[in-house]
Amino acid sequence: MAFEFEPSVMIESLPLLMGGAKITVILTVGGLFFGFILGAVAGMMKLSRNFFVRKLAGIYIESIRGTPMLVQAMFLYFGIPMALGIRIPAMVAGIIIISVNSGAYIAEIVRGAVQSINPGQSEAGRSIGLTHFQTMRYVVWPQAFRRMIPPLGNQFIISLKDTSLLMIIGVGELLRTGDEIVAVNFRSFEVYLTCGLVYLAMTLSIAKALKMLEKKMHILGK
Amino acid sequence: MIQIKNLYKSFGDLKVLKGVDLHVKAGQVVVIIGPSGSGKSTVLRCINKLEVPTSGTIIVDGYDIMDPETDINMVRTEATMVFQQFNLFPHMTVLDNVILGPIKVRGTSRPDAMRLGMELLNKVGLADKAGNFPEQLSGGQKQRVAIARSLALQPKAILFDEPTSALDPELVGEVLEVMKKLAREGMTMIVVTHEMGFAREVADRVIFIDQGKIQVDADPETFFATPENPRLMDFIGKVVSHT
Repeated sequence: MAFEFEPSVMIESLPLLMGGAKITVILTVGGLFFGFILGAVAGMMKLSRNFFVRKLAGIYIESIRGTPMLVQAMFLYFGIPMALGIRIPAMVAGIIIISVNSGAYIAEIVRGAVQSINPGQSEAGRSIGLTHFQTMRYVVWPQAFRRMIPPLGNQFIISLKDTSLLMIIGVGELLRTGDEIVAVNFRSFEVYLTCGLVYLAMTLSIAKALKMLEKKMHILGK
Repeated sequence: MIQIKNLYKSFGDLKVLKGVDLHVKAGQVVVIIGPSGSGKSTVLRCINKLEVPTSGTIIVDGYDIMDPETDINMVRTEATMVFQQFNLFPHMTVLDNVILGPIKVRGTSRPDAMRLGMELLNKVGLADKAGNFPEQLSGGQKQRVAIARSLALQPKAILFDEPTSALDPELVGEVLEVMKKLAREGMTMIVVTHEMGFAREVADRVIFIDQGKIQVDADPETFFATPENPRLMDFIGKVVSHT
């Protein structure tokens, strides 16, 4: 039986796939929102003068970076309930995994960006009587944030793609939806191709949005 | 106003300051000169505790900065600093650079701070640059903004750390002019510099630091007329032949 490409399948599966894409977006946005908070806290902890605070952040970052996200997801969704007897909804587990995972990478982005700001800037802040926190808030962070945008954009794209791994714990995101369509119509070529194109459309949009943000931020002072 | 007693500062094994004593009275302009690496900037940076002294006492406006009870942020507002590299905040306009301290530290309302900020920018001759960003200014203009920023806290003293060393020669004059104006108005100033002309003309006292110690402390006339210290003679010779 020769293969025949059927573009109509792509069109037909699109409405269902868009439903999955919506879940993908929710996972990504939710995961990156909490991931950024986690990453900012862990990144600042890594810059702390206190050895134990630094170490704690280091353990978090290394253990997350050093294990596959798939393992983390399965452990959280299947392993933890077995030990504690509580079941986490798949969607919540998904957002937790994306947050914890992106947080570890964002922590390094934050640390690097803050460290890259000339020490003279904090000295100038301190020399006019600002507290350490105020210096960070008004002087260092606004400058560091501009430098974080390109690597953060990279991380956003990685995290969006990583949500596809969550199909393993039954989250109805884009790839899982595609998988379910294939189970019914057996058109794996058209359906997975469409999935890929939808992912591509989303990642290109992120890249474009961040480019615009970067430009806007540059005009408002270096 | 500022009293330094027996100040020692080491960076690791490197002993930079080996017992510095200095008493600066209110309204005095003290110029510190010395070869690079002699510790002159370190003295300045110890006064506002950007560097923590290894030992010794420093009293600023009656507050012992080594006392853990002392609110160091408050002391810093009484002895603000002007840096060699300006260190303006690049993401803020010139006016915002100047009023950040008054608003966040002194709790001045924004309109009042803006009025004060414009007054100070006027004083340093840069009122028309209020809305510009630092990268749009020349080095001399940047340094004048930095002076306005440190004046904005209405400090009792200003510490100048080689304020003209990063400037192109033709821009040095405009910064020195502003500093002379401040000196005439009675501001207490400690100035680390290589500008001998400024020292001669404006200083009440000139201090020569070398090898971590104050070697000479005299009024400018005595200082330049009869340099007895051989190291000072050598140093002045080098600086003068250079400029």
